[in-house]
Amino acid sequence: MINADFIVDVGISHYLILSAILFSLGMIGVLLRKNAIVMLMSIELMLNAVNLSFITFSKYNSHIDGQIMVFFVMTIAAAEAAVGLALIVSIFKRYKEVNIRFFEHLKG
Amino acid sequence: MGQDILEITINSVKLILIFLMMVQAVPILVWLERRGSAFIQNRFGPNRVGPLGLVQLLADAVKFLTKEDFAPDKAVRSLFYAAPVFALIPATLAYAAIPMSTPISIAAFEAFGSTWGPYLFRVQGYEIGVGIVFILGVSSLAAYTILMAGWGSGSKFSLLGALRASAQVISYELALGLSIVGVIMMYGTFNLSEMIQAQQGPFQFSAFGYTIASTVDWIPNWGIFYQPIGFILFFAAAFAESNRLPFDLAEGEAELVAGFHTEYGGFKMLMFFIGEYGHMMIAAGLATTFFFGGYGIPGITAQELQQVIVGWGYADQTANILNAVLHFLMYNVKFAIFLWIFIHVRWTLPRFRYDQLMDLGWKTMLPWALANTILTAIVIYVVAA
Amino acid sequence: MTADAFLFWFLALITIGGASLVILMKNPIYSALALVFTMCGIAALFVTLDAFFVAGVQIIVYAGAVMVLFVMVLMLFDLKHEVEAFSKGRITGAIKLATAGLLAGLVMGAIFYSSTAVDTVITKQLAAASGDPSKQLGMRLFTQHIFAFEALGILLLVVAVGAVALARSKGGTHHDQR
Repeated sequence: MINADFIVDVGISHYLILSAILFSLGMIGVLLRKNAIVMLMSIELMLNAVNLSFITFSKYNSHIDGQIMVFFVMTIAAAEAAVGLALIVSIFKRYKEVNIRFFEHLKG
Repeated sequence: MGQDILEITINSVKLILIFLMMVQAVPILVWLERRGSAFIQNRFGPNRVGPLGLVQLLADAVKFLTKEDFAPDKAVRSLFYAAPVFALIPATLAYAAIPMSTPISIAAFEAFGSTWGPYLFRVQGYEIGVGIVFILGVSSLAAYTILMAGWGSGSKFSLLGALRASAQVISYELALGLSIVGVIMMYGTFNLSEMIQAQQGPFQFSAFGYTIASTVDWIPNWGIFYQPIGFILFFAAAFAESNRLPFDLAEGEAELVAGFHTEYGGFKMLMFFIGEYGHMMIAAGLATTFFFGGYGIPGITAQELQQVIVGWGYADQTANILNAVLHFLMYNVKFAIFLWIFIHVRWTLPRFRYDQLMDLGWKTMLPWALANTILTAIVIYVVAA
Repeated sequence: MTADAFLFWFLALITIGGASLVILMKNPIYSALALVFTMCGIAALFVTLDAFFVAGVQIIVYAGAVMVLFVMVLMLFDLKHEVEAFSKGRITGAIKLATAGLLAGLVMGAIFYSSTAVDTVITKQLAAASGDPSKQLGMRLFTQHIFAFEALGILLLVVAVGAVALARSKGGTHHDQR
């Protein structure tokens, strides 16, 4: 499957595969890391991977709506980061650590 | 980059030249700053080495280069050494996107048995369609160098200075970005060259279908006449972005020794210095471009000047280059005036307190910038209807 | 190899390398700096896809604002002891890795399988691009997608209020019991 054409002719599938790899790396980060901040960063990475595929489809379909979706995703990501960091700061103030297991005290 | 080998070469050389120009401007600015501060404070300043102390720059450079390359014991060495290098990147990248003169067009010519050209060389590092967005984005990366330096130094003064500086930079970035939204809306473009094009010629605009023009034609069509609030906000925020007095909380000597570069010395310190001056130059260049007609010469457009030079008896090709040179000089005059204002303000105003700084950014400048944006939008909508 | 292909492979290397560093680095500050690097790489990928404005916004929003926030919070915490950077348990870890790998494999397989189909679909040109793309973007955003835009505005307001309320609390999410 991998041949010279695959290396030279960069097309839609290359970008999509790159996006998939980045998404999976982000997913591994969320699943494996214990530090809540690193988990948040991995989520940002996953969102970025999705953005990349949006832009790719936007380009190869010659349709601008993909780029608009990216704006929406960015807004949501920024909002998510703000709330997540506020939560982490408040956990840190109490336990002096940001391990994800302290988040189980969030109930109630 | 270009069509053929000549164009690619010239464009690459241009990039290097602009970088060198920026770096070489720094010693001159340092000299200007020291002489200027001495002038303001009724002292002499450096006046021993060479005429007017001008060779002091070389002496300083030798001093910086021969100092011991020193890293503190507790420093995180990778970040400590990376920070000064990264301090140069945002400033140089952003500065290269500012147009400095009219594009030089070279007609096709024959050489070495083949036809070359026609070419169009822009007097800027690279032409970017979304110039402003690029410049804002790249210069916002400067916050990382400050954070890396502060945290990598392993000193509490550095860390406190870095946290202050980066909080300040991201707070004022909002006001900076919003203050130029009015300009962007008015010219309807992100492209800096197109903005300068729109500011050529005498002061005139059309409203409600009428054209309103000034009776004297030496009043230029500059952005400051349309966006005075935007200019004031932009300029104030630019001071904060470049971490200079009255906003240099990052290095408040009385509280933090020297802020994020407490632990740096010698050449590494100098690189932070170049970064800071680079931000100053970007701010001066952008203020010129947005509000003062860029490289435009008041009272005459680029096309008219071209005609005048041709009238002096030069060929079109030569006239084009002369035209570009004249505009380049004009740009540098405006640029130098702004740099001087930066220096003058530094030695005139006292430093803000940290809470005053944040109050000014969030409670004064941000609302005014928003109001300016909305007002501009309404005026554009009503007038253009 | 053409310049475009070289650029793509170079940027792919940067982004994948950066992303791997994000999840492998034990010190979260290095993770954050690696993520900044990745995001700049993704912005450059946007440029190769002719989305200049989005690339600029990506750098301003992600690299310039969101990640600065992360780095600042990390430096404020100054976590002395990162006892367990990764979750424990070899078997669960292996299962997690396998799940992510499976997902990646599935997606990539789907892309490979459908790439010929996609190539035929994209030949039909929708809405031939004319004029300034940023202008088009704005027109589209404020006509077709105005509802989503306004809803996002409300979301941001709620988030701002919520974040301030959370950050101002004295610590923990409830004060009386532990």
